[in-house]
Amino acid sequence: MANMEALLAPFLSPLLALLIISVLFGALLGFAVQKFKVTTNPLVDQINALLPQTQCAQCGYPGCKPYAEAISSGAPINLCPPGGENTINQLAHLLDVKAIPLDPDLVEETAPKVAVIREAECIGCTFCIQACPVDAIVGAAQQMHSVIASECTGCELCEAPCPVDCIDFVTVDAEASKSPPEKSLSEQACIRCGLCVDACPVDLLPQQLYWFAQGKAYDKAREHRLMDCIECGLCHAVCPSHIPLVQYYQAAKLAIKDQDEKLQQALLIKQRFDYREQRLAKERAQIEQRRRARAELAQAKAKQSDLIQAALARAKNKTATEKSPDTQHGN
Amino acid sequence: MSAIIILLISAILVNNFVLVQFLGLCPFMGSSNKVETAIGMSAATTFVLTLASMVSYIIYHYLLIPLNITWLRTIAFIVVIAALVNFTEILMLKTSPLLHKILGIFLPLITTNCAVLGVALLNINAGNNFIESAFYGFGAALGFSLVLILFAALREKLNLADVPAPFQGASIAMITAALMSLAFMGFTGLV
Repeated sequence: MANMEALLAPFLSPLLALLIISVLFGALLGFAVQKFKVTTNPLVDQINALLPQTQCAQCGYPGCKPYAEAISSGAPINLCPPGGENTINQLAHLLDVKAIPLDPDLVEETAPKVAVIREAECIGCTFCIQACPVDAIVGAAQQMHSVIASECTGCELCEAPCPVDCIDFVTVDAEASKSPPEKSLSEQACIRCGLCVDACPVDLLPQQLYWFAQGKAYDKAREHRLMDCIECGLCHAVCPSHIPLVQYYQAAKLAIKDQDEKLQQALLIKQRFDYREQRLAKERAQIEQRRRARAELAQAKAKQSDLIQAALARAKNKTATEKSPDTQHGN
Repeated sequence: MSAIIILLISAILVNNFVLVQFLGLCPFMGSSNKVETAIGMSAATTFVLTLASMVSYIIYHYLLIPLNITWLRTIAFIVVIAALVNFTEILMLKTSPLLHKILGIFLPLITTNCAVLGVALLNINAGNNFIESAFYGFGAALGFSLVLILFAALREKLNLADVPAPFQGASIAMITAALMSLAFMGFTGLV
């Protein structure tokens, strides 16, 4: 026994020390977890704001918000065909990951489309109205339906339910996107001479803007006030490397405007989608309420009829007992 | 007072943990793609490093020495650092989920950041007192932050530059880090 104690003695104090440290820090962490509990996740909203809100479910999730939730817990960012390269780039920038090309299993990114109903053929079944995630189809049962073109996201969710196949998808004429100029033979590499900076009449940094425009760092370009460029062409004129700077700026400006418009549109669509969700929830609640009211009514009726039956039975019994002595007498 | 200033300058510039002593290179290369991310990482590391050097001083001098088990210091310090990193992670998930998501694995990896353990052990080897330990840890963290943020800013520019194909990505980052390290060698003899 004494031998055992002597054997254990050197282990006691280190174990004790580690135990004290662990218990102390365990308590601290346990307290922190309770104190700083996370209830909502704003990251999902930040991601959701970048998605095009078509609610087309091509990513495999039932809408844009579920996909945003999936991304925030690790789903790949390249599953959104309507958003295309633009959305992937923005997501990559937000999450600081590498931009990857669109998942090849998904449909190729196409020009924006809107649904058009061939109205002569429409039978007024309202299936497409129920399928539309943003309430962009108007009409009533047995009446012709119509698509509000400006609200349609081109998600193609209305195509499958239509029993007479009277919905077409037509491409919207997208503004011809301006690509940066082809490198001409006279254009040389920037030598950072700074002549363009001196020439700029609105005190911009043309050389910096050139890098941002070329690298598609639109946030940075905007921070350096690219939108203030008056496109006078002086920087191009003084550039010893003959770089057509203004053409780069024009392309970048159009891209920025395009991006802004898309985000704005996504916001509007999201509002419509949210409104529809609210409306559907309200309708469901109303139906549920009516159902409950009917059930209660039926129950009350059943109770009443039970009472009547019971009274009848009692009356029957009574007459039976009143009659039975007579019959006995008769016998 | 002047001793502490000299200690700080020495930790930040002359014996910079990343570029001169080559400690903590993992987050230096891993979380320096964006300046904002680098700032978040710097804040987290500064918090952990400063507190870890203070707490490990207390534990070493008031627990390990009285019990005569100083050989246990590495394990004890790792427990301290791991707990502090975990605490930081909980805090960050609450304050900035985006940063938490971006930093990802690099946040828990502060635990194995050799700069953090290195400062705790160096403090003991140098026989620093409590105040000196705290400032040495803080200085090391400031040096780490300075270098990390500078490096991230450089890499942001590099992303836009026309880098020859064989040098793109990690290779040009390594070369940049090496050049920065050369530049920091110039601080030798400052103190």
